[in-house]
Amino acid sequence: MNVVSRGVKNAFRSPMRSGAIILMLAISIGLILSMLVARSSVNTKIDQVKSAAGTNITISPAGVFGFDGGGNNLTSTQVTQISKTAHIATTSATLSDQMAATDTNLTPSLTLGNFGARQARLDNSSSNSSGSTSTSSSSSANSEFASRPVPTPHTTVTGTTNPNSISTNGGSLSITSGKTIDGNSNSYVALVGKDLATKNNLVVGKTFTAYGGTVTVSGIYTTGNTFQDSGIIMPLATIQTLSGQSGEVSSVIATVDSSDNVNATVTSLKSTLGSKADIVSQTQQATDSVSSLQSISGLALTSVIGAAIAGSVIILLAMIMIVRERRREIGVIKAIGGTNKKVMAQFVAEALTITVVGSIVGLTLGILVSGPMTSSLVSNSQNSSSTQSSTRAAAGPGGALFRGGINRIGSNITQVTSSVTPGVFASAVAITLLIAIIGSAIPAWFIARISPAEVLRAE
Amino acid sequence: MLEVKNLSKTFNSPGGNVTALKDVNISIKTGEFASIIGNSGSGKSTLLSMLGALDTPTSGTIMVDDKDISKLSSKKQTVYRAKKIGFVFQQYNLIPNLSALENVMLALEFGGVSARKRKGKAEQLLNEVGIKPDEMLRKPYKLSGGQQQRVSIARALANHPSIILADEPTGNLDSETGKKIFDLLHSLSRSENTTILAVTHDMDIAGKTDRTFKLKDGKIIT
Repeated sequence: MNVVSRGVKNAFRSPMRSGAIILMLAISIGLILSMLVARSSVNTKIDQVKSAAGTNITISPAGVFGFDGGGNNLTSTQVTQISKTAHIATTSATLSDQMAATDTNLTPSLTLGNFGARQARLDNSSSNSSGSTSTSSSSSANSEFASRPVPTPHTTVTGTTNPNSISTNGGSLSITSGKTIDGNSNSYVALVGKDLATKNNLVVGKTFTAYGGTVTVSGIYTTGNTFQDSGIIMPLATIQTLSGQSGEVSSVIATVDSSDNVNATVTSLKSTLGSKADIVSQTQQATDSVSSLQSISGLALTSVIGAAIAGSVIILLAMIMIVRERRREIGVIKAIGGTNKKVMAQFVAEALTITVVGSIVGLTLGILVSGPMTSSLVSNSQNSSSTQSSTRAAAGPGGALFRGGINRIGSNITQVTSSVTPGVFASAVAITLLIAIIGSAIPAWFIARISPAEVLRAE
Repeated sequence: MLEVKNLSKTFNSPGGNVTALKDVNISIKTGEFASIIGNSGSGKSTLLSMLGALDTPTSGTIMVDDKDISKLSSKKQTVYRAKKIGFVFQQYNLIPNLSALENVMLALEFGGVSARKRKGKAEQLLNEVGIKPDEMLRKPYKLSGGQQQRVSIARALANHPSIILADEPTGNLDSETGKKIFDLLHSLSRSENTTILAVTHDMDIAGKTDRTFKLKDGKIIT
């Protein structure tokens, strides 16, 4: 029977009370562990998303969003400026246009529907007042005086130096037949979307007319996106020539040599292009998309601190209560020759026993609940933020260029896997030890102040 | 030999200084059984706590075996209590969650007896005060008052102290049990040659001790 075994024995002197203290302690320790797990899982995910975001920067003309808005396309001078900016490794430029029935012999595979009709209504009224030769105005001119205009859908054509940039999943464009085209050539070749090809019975080697030129189908592609699969992809120079927009591009994607230089490059591009272009980096978008995860991470840390404080307070109050209750006993031990050190050691052993039992229960509890807790935290906060972004994600091809990649990240964010790593477990144990030390340090001070003369005092 | 000279103790209280002991002089020979009687508030407990090194006097000296214990550091006081003093309390003051045997072993531990020897020695001590082997393993609350006081006497004797200080040792016991406990203390003072100083109300008991001191308002009057 020594100091330590007396302390351990004392811990279970009052099983009901010790049980209650251990339970409260276990809950806070369980919370500490599960919140540490949530935090580390979420942080891992944030790092993953940020590192997967890549080093792309998208430069689009100011005021243009998909096929909406206004403004002027980027000029060849600006494209040259962009490609000459420091740290930019490669650029791919894109010019998107829409062909009306007069521009091509192809039948659009998209039906206008409510959305398209509403957009076309605006086109018609504006063409009337401005008198421009918009691609859709001539076809609807006849019905201008009818009670309702009958709009026709357009066929989207995208000229790009890199056909893979159309891919919605961020990887290579999926070619179902034929072969891809060289985006830097100026030959009259095209990749045709699956839906458009089916509608017009186009196969590899067949031709169609666009802006008066004859274009040969080089391949059929599919992206899984109905809008994209109803379009045509041609080399940038070909579209620029055919549509009479020499040198103009509607979007540039620049790849920066290293992720460290992305922010600096964005800043320098902003200063060279000024207000004429909107510049968005993937890193920035990734940061925006993980902001909800970041708030979970912060919340989890706050919970860890809160639970640690709660745990310390529980053990502290319990020990103070126990010491006060055993004043007389402490006095007796001192009177018969027990040193302060021995009495303190006995109570520290008692506090440690309670903490150890509490942490065994708590850590088990934490391991069990950390998985469900992490996923519920992530899915709850992610639901609210994804509804906001989904309305924007439906934007036209300009926006869709790498939005596909970002959408993929977005859906991935909810798949945070929680795992109890040794590091996280070790920090939970360290916090628990800290709780025990705090919980017994102050009572120890009380013990030292109890006078052995206490025993001679009448009850 | 216990020799108290000019011992005074003054407490600071909000209503001014209170003198609990004033110029107390006592001399008790080794092996003597002495008693102190006095009304409550006469300073009995204060005197006992000075002698037991539970508290330090304001002035005066307490010589135990030619050593002044009134000016010991609190660390040395603890050592003195462990080795030279045995306490017997009115409330027995055994540790509630330790068995009779463990209570005695605790005192042996503080007295510096090696862990291997403690159990045998404790059994021997309990046997001497009349505790049966099956009672030794019981917790205090499963023992009668008289048995508990026997255990506490065994605990007080554990380290062969110079003095046993007993605070109303029979105060909580019926007169028959009280007499047995008194006889036990008396015989021990003879067989172990231990000085015993008992504080008591009981004039019967006081009358049977070798010497009796009467304390009134902090002063020895006889």
